[in-house]
Amino acid sequence: MAEAQLPVSVWSPGEDVVEVRRAPAPGAARSFTRAFLETLRGLKTTFARVIEGPVTIQYPEEKVPVYPRFRGRHRLHRFEESGLEKCVGCSLCAAACPADCIRVVAAENTPEHRVSAGERYAAVYEINLSRCIFCGYCEVACPFDAITMGHDYELSDYDRSDLIFTKEMLLAEPLERTPLRREDE
Amino acid sequence: MGRPQQKLISFTIDGRQVQAPENMMLADAAKLGDVEIPVFCYEPKLGQPVGACRMCLVEIEGIPKLQTGCSTPVKDGMVVHTRSERVQAAQHGVVEFLLLNHPLDCPVCDKGGECPLQDITFGWGGGVARTRELKRHFKKPVELSPLIAIDRERCILCYRCARFSQEVSEDHQLVLAERGSHSFISTFDSHPYISHFSGNIIELCPVGALTSIPYRFRARPWDIEGAGTVCTLCPAQCNVTLTVRNERVLRVLARENPAVDDGWLCDKGRFGYQSFHVDQRITQPLIRDGGALRAVPWEIALERAAGLLERARGQACALAGGSASNEEGYLLARLMREALASEAIDTLAAVPPRAAHMLARPQLQAAVADIEHADTVLVLGCELREEAPIIELRVRKGVRRNGVRLLVATPQRSALDAVAGLAVRCAQGGEGELAIALAGALQGAEAQEGAHAGAAERAGVTPADLRALAQALRSGGKDVVVIYGQRLLRTAAAAQALLDIARELKLEADRQEREEGRTCGLLGIPDGVSNARGLLESGLAPGYDPGYRPRQLPDPDAAPDAHAMAAGLAGGKLRLLYLLGADPLRCGLPEDAWQAALDSGAAVIAHADFITETIREHAQVVFPAESYAEKEGTVVHPDGRLQRLRPAIERQGEVRAGWWVIAELARRLDLDFGLLGSERSPGARALEAAGIIAEGLSATRASELLLASVAIYAGIDLEQIGGKGRRWQQSAGAGALPEPPSAPERERAAGTPEPLNAYRPLFDAPEAEYSPALRFLYRRASGRQPAPLRSEQAPGAPAERAGESNGELGARSELVAGLVIRHVAGAGEGREQR
Repeated sequence: MAEAQLPVSVWSPGEDVVEVRRAPAPGAARSFTRAFLETLRGLKTTFARVIEGPVTIQYPEEKVPVYPRFRGRHRLHRFEESGLEKCVGCSLCAAACPADCIRVVAAENTPEHRVSAGERYAAVYEINLSRCIFCGYCEVACPFDAITMGHDYELSDYDRSDLIFTKEMLLAEPLERTPLRREDE
Repeated sequence: MGRPQQKLISFTIDGRQVQAPENMMLADAAKLGDVEIPVFCYEPKLGQPVGACRMCLVEIEGIPKLQTGCSTPVKDGMVVHTRSERVQAAQHGVVEFLLLNHPLDCPVCDKGGECPLQDITFGWGGGVARTRELKRHFKKPVELSPLIAIDRERCILCYRCARFSQEVSEDHQLVLAERGSHSFISTFDSHPYISHFSGNIIELCPVGALTSIPYRFRARPWDIEGAGTVCTLCPAQCNVTLTVRNERVLRVLARENPAVDDGWLCDKGRFGYQSFHVDQRITQPLIRDGGALRAVPWEIALERAAGLLERARGQACALAGGSASNEEGYLLARLMREALASEAIDTLAAVPPRAAHMLARPQLQAAVADIEHADTVLVLGCELREEAPIIELRVRKGVRRNGVRLLVATPQRSALDAVAGLAVRCAQGGEGELAIALAGALQGAEAQEGAHAGAAERAGVTPADLRALAQALRSGGKDVVVIYGQRLLRTAAAAQALLDIARELKLEADRQEREEGRTCGLLGIPDGVSNARGLLESGLAPGYDPGYRPRQLPDPDAAPDAHAMAAGLAGGKLRLLYLLGADPLRCGLPEDAWQAALDSGAAVIAHADFITETIREHAQVVFPAESYAEKEGTVVHPDGRLQRLRPAIERQGEVRAGWWVIAELARRLDLDFGLLGSERSPGARALEAAGIIAEGLSATRASELLLASVAIYAGIDLEQIGGKGRRWQQSAGAGALPEPPSAPERERAAGTPEPLNAYRPLFDAPEAEYSPALRFLYRRASGRQPAPLRSEQAPGAPAERAGESNGELGARSELVAGLVIRHVAGAGEGREQR
């Protein structure tokens, strides 16, 4: 089939043409205002802050308190009464994790060796915190509220492998508590 | 009877015009129009639908009430709605009822993530629970058997497992106990559910009520990968998907292939995978050093083996078995013949290649799928349940669903007797003579007087039985399939007798006739070796080149078979035995003769995965063998289907590919197969030899070399074999089969030991011995010393006279059940051993 001749539409600017209005050439008085008065106006804000005193936080002696919903290092939980682990090793956190940093190997509870409340428990529960992006999806996925995002943000270490947190590390209370922001702060 | 013809009709579903075969169930026909009708209890493999779960309700115009899509056949002009308001309300209601007593413990349930109940609740459920009442409770989890855990709270009573037990495996063990809302799945009196096929109910269960104990809590669906390959633990060669996590096989699932396995697996195939990862497995090369085996680097083991082979030039022999692939068989045959000038090569199955050649004509070959559509099936001299269990399920399907008339002629009582129209007994080892007598009876009085005289007496079959069998075959319709155990081919003239039977019953059908629906022919089940047919066709057969080409040898005795090999080794004529995944003391070969052969002081080189007695006492060099999950190559099904093995996991320890070992030995003996990186640079070759870079590409080249070298495989490439396999009888190479020589078969050479002619039970295998989950079946089914079994199986003793009318198979099964019950009552050893 021969190609049909399409009508070529010619674009015309029409009403879209806008005339640009330019400022008049600067004179001497105008230049003076710009160089000094406007600068002083800006400095007013600067000097106004001086009387407020220093705001530097002396980290690590002093720590920033975090909001209650701050997503820091994960924590695993136990039932308070029985001491059993809440985690049943279902791997849903691992499935939800976008960074693929959680590894769960489940095993079966026996009457002699009961670890969690359900039929299964997490024999291995590891989070590679050097990969974690602290999105909190694991917390959302957990059907037993066994994993929550804690408040600790001090996670630096000398060795990458030390950043793989095991189940025991995640279950333990953190050594130093991160200060929580009070309601009025 | 032949395959049924299908007629297409047209119907409307959700406003779409869809073409479907008439009388197809609506649940299946809807899929042709890309409409999904949710189902729980419907499974076409289980036979007639039962409509138990009510999930598939649909609205059909002209019928006032909602109908079950799983049990309504589709008719021309039908108008169906699956998403109307009434249907949706019904679906919400059904899901709500199913969840009424379901514990919703998905986080701890092994099915979670691959659960139809989860999917259907999400897709078709109402989304809100209204019940506040207590749920029904049972003790959980309970061991249904040492392999299967049952959680009755999760059960939705779809009857799938009970139907499998009643209508597919026909062991009639699973039943529904109690009535109404108290119903639960159980065995009679809570006996453990022990069957050859029990694992299938795990895969059938649409909820997490039946779970595998060995797989329990091992992984979740998002942790795992599926890898398709072919199980080579028995000749049935079922297609499987291996579940892999962290380079470990955790589970075996069926990969449905209607031409091979119909989607079922036996328990050995399903649970034998554990033996891939046990500590007892050989993962390093071993050599004998001062009387004991010692682990050494590959280089040293290869040097030692090459030295032994070099010294035994002209006096070496080779036996292959286990899961040896065609490539390994082909290369080993060439290594023996070309580099070592030795003709003594055979498989453990010891199929006489000449007999196999006579029976290999494509017109005579029945495929597995033909069994279910035949008019009559004769099972001659093999116990399918123990030798190729999945083929037994196919026979049962034919009998139950399509009215196939089944005839059984075996030495022992067969598991198929119960469904057979006629069951005939012969003497132990008399299957071959029975075939000869049967051929005589079919040919008429003249033949019975002539060449076939005395066969019936030697077979130990009563004249009345023989007449009844011949009569049943003669009146058995147009399409007859004869499934014979290839053991009977060891009897001289038995192959000719099978050909005579086929001629008398007109079992020949060319490709055209088969495509038009004829289902007839012969199907030989090899004795114990999964790939016996492929090895034979690849040239690993005494006196035969690849593709059934007889070799021109000066003396017919120059190519000893497995039996003559034992005599040759014992007599000192042969000085080296190369074992490719084979253990001659643990197969159907005569044990005394092979014990003497091994004790003769001949050097033994073995590819082995476990240290058996043969290896421990006699092997000079042991190469660690691959399991089928690690292997790459091709195998051949007994019906001639080439299937492809694909590696699912990396090789354990220092295991290397079997074909690589053989090619490397050949290189040291100045025979180049062109596989060892001749196209690669010397540096890459060194890396390959050190195991640093993979030789995966070369494994494909080994397959290509094989396919190019075997004339009957012409026109088949790996692409065509693909995931479903391809039968060479249906490809271009079928015409390349040479005409079998017309000279009569030779009698067995004097002095060679009498074959045992008894099958080994399915679970009498290293996979059962070394898999913790299956070990309980291993010990019970066979025991370490099969000696008492053998004394009962005295060759030549007629069955009736030996008082075997009740059969020893039956007696043994009862023993199995009794022992197992005690075992389970003693607190589940199987679970502790996981």
